[in-house]
Amino acid sequence: MNEPVIDVRGLHVRFGEVEAVAGIDLQAQAGHATALLGRNGAGKSTTMRVLAGVVPPTAGTVLVHGVDVAREPVAVKRLVGYCPDVGGLVPRATPWEHLQLAARLRRLADWETRARDLLERFELGDVAHRVTSGFSHGMGRRLSVVLAALHEPDVLLLDEPFDGVDPLGVEATMVVIEDARARGASVLVSTHLRDLAMQACSTAVVLRGGAQVAAMEAGELTGEAGADAYRALLD
Amino acid sequence: MPTARSSTDAGLAGWVRASADLQHLLRFRAATVRRPRAAAVAVAVLLGVTLAAAVGPVLVDGAGSTTVLADHLGAMLAGFLVLAVAAAMASGGGRELVPREQAAVHPIGHRTEHLGALALAPLNFAWLLQAWLLLGVAARTTGTDGWLAGQAVVAAWVLCATALAQVVGWLVETLRRTTHGVLVVRVLAVLVATVGVALQAADRLVPLLEGLPTRHLAEVVVEGDGAVPALLALAALTGLAVVVGAWPAGVALRRTPREELRVESGSHPARPLPASDLAVLRRIDRASVWRSVPMRRGLVVLALGPGLVALGGGMDWTQVLVLPALVVSGGALLFGVNAWCLDGRGALWRESLPVGPGTVFAARALTLAEWLGAAALATLALAALRAGVPTPTELTALVVTLVVVLLQVVAVSLSWSGRRPFPVQLSSARATPAPPIVMVGYSARLAVSTTLTAVLFSSAAQVPVWWLVPALAVPFVAWSTVRLLRARRHWVDAARRAHVVVTVAA
Repeated sequence: MNEPVIDVRGLHVRFGEVEAVAGIDLQAQAGHATALLGRNGAGKSTTMRVLAGVVPPTAGTVLVHGVDVAREPVAVKRLVGYCPDVGGLVPRATPWEHLQLAARLRRLADWETRARDLLERFELGDVAHRVTSGFSHGMGRRLSVVLAALHEPDVLLLDEPFDGVDPLGVEATMVVIEDARARGASVLVSTHLRDLAMQACSTAVVLRGGAQVAAMEAGELTGEAGADAYRALLD
Repeated sequence: MPTARSSTDAGLAGWVRASADLQHLLRFRAATVRRPRAAAVAVAVLLGVTLAAAVGPVLVDGAGSTTVLADHLGAMLAGFLVLAVAAAMASGGGRELVPREQAAVHPIGHRTEHLGALALAPLNFAWLLQAWLLLGVAARTTGTDGWLAGQAVVAAWVLCATALAQVVGWLVETLRRTTHGVLVVRVLAVLVATVGVALQAADRLVPLLEGLPTRHLAEVVVEGDGAVPALLALAALTGLAVVVGAWPAGVALRRTPREELRVESGSHPARPLPASDLAVLRRIDRASVWRSVPMRRGLVVLALGPGLVALGGGMDWTQVLVLPALVVSGGALLFGVNAWCLDGRGALWRESLPVGPGTVFAARALTLAEWLGAAALATLALAALRAGVPTPTELTALVVTLVVVLLQVVAVSLSWSGRRPFPVQLSSARATPAPPIVMVGYSARLAVSTTLTAVLFSSAAQVPVWWLVPALAVPFVAWSTVRLLRARRHWVDAARRAHVVVTVAA
């Protein structure tokens, strides 16, 4: 088996007295999409934030393409595209200004055509120059996926990308995930929508109480039997 | 069929319900104070200063015989009303007890909003400073004889003026939320400012203020006769203002906040990509500042207010030197004391971008500095219209004071922003970058430190030695630089930065 693109071992994250992540191990391969499942407070979003270089790990090793996120966070950020779970947009900037900021800091050349294409696919072309504070929740989610996917990252981290998104937006997000897999990227999708997660991903990891309780093929969590199996893992 | 009682109930029941709701909201705010011990100390200090202002002047020799202060007390009482009106207007009717986003899901009626704005009005350093000044002047003029009556009348007037100002604030906000209301309010503000400057320039403003009915109150305070009827009249007027104020509050709050919505739905055509990381970061930071209604409105008031006073009063350059300190410290209270909240929920995404934290810090510091500097320069430009051409010594002192105060305020603001971040949207004109009690502490500390600095430099500028002010500036610049670098180190630390980012994005 190839070296995993995402390699998390013994990850702990503490915020004061609260241990948000208590010893997660997680590996994800290139060309695969992995679903990160679990109840609220299971540690999904915190794990995503660590992988995105936003929150430093308290203990453990987190490697992205062999780069240690604790030692070289900026290098990891170049490899990763991140759609955060909450908001993710600067309130008084326009989508195009968000894209310009990302393109400039990621040293992208000839990015405008792809940016326009993504905005059109997510039906945001008409609002490209409107400030985002007036956006609906679904529009914000869709733009966050666009921003994460703009630079065709090696690792695509999507935290609740389907939350409040209409069916067309869900389809566009599925296409982004499929494109990323096809070009060899590793995709991590955190969501409470199990059916969509199973549709988008080939493998699934279930977290509970800040630790991993199961890792399995997506097929094992599909249908009613999968729902029962998933529920059993949450209790 | 009504499913629950709320403070929208009519008549007396509505007021009873609104008062109960207000108590619930105040308890809620008190329960969410992060450092209750510090808040208790802050309240104790405020009460202590109030007591000192009311009693201290009596204990100094000469109390009860100060005719100059007594002569101007009427104008000062009227001035308090003017400042309270300006504060209520600038804050879109009054401060929010609970942020709009959080309050939206609760059945909070307009009376509760109105009472909440009244309750928060004193948590403003300018209000407190003026109130302490009035209590102090009253104590000085009365001495021990008639002290209690004088203090009671002044305290009653402070409450009454606050309630009256709240009525005006809501009326203006009601007007502002009509179809062409923003334009109408701006035109009216320009007219009032122009008349005010003209009156001041003609030395007629103070006589006008002294001719207002507040002179009768001043006479009651000074002479000690008729305190009881005055207190009864003020109590009645206060009650009436509180009740009447609920009506425009209801109308204003039912109307769409057009200015905020216009900004939130505004379009901004694409501009060419900036040439550097710092430039692109500064562009988005600037957009966050200039597209915010409370920040823009606050800056205009801060830049023009002191400038117009200087213009009308014909201040000379040594007096003008104090103004940048006031403007810069006031400007920092619009967002600088919680500077990372500009990114709101976009902070998480921004933090995932591959750029050194030092560059992000530099962009935010420069944006804050240019924002404060622009306000101070606008004030100085207005003041310069009558102050004439400064001498080389005055010009040196002016430049040095501006640089020192800017550095001082930027360093302190970014230090506080890193240590105590708050999740704030700053989309409503009624929003503040930190909870009200925290804002009082911030404003007091900023105002005291910058004003003392400016007074020192202003005094030094009167000595005809050009190098004195720059020499005095050296320790100030050194200390502020140390503080700024410390704030930068705090931000560059990954764990501390994560705390800030996660907090403001919450």
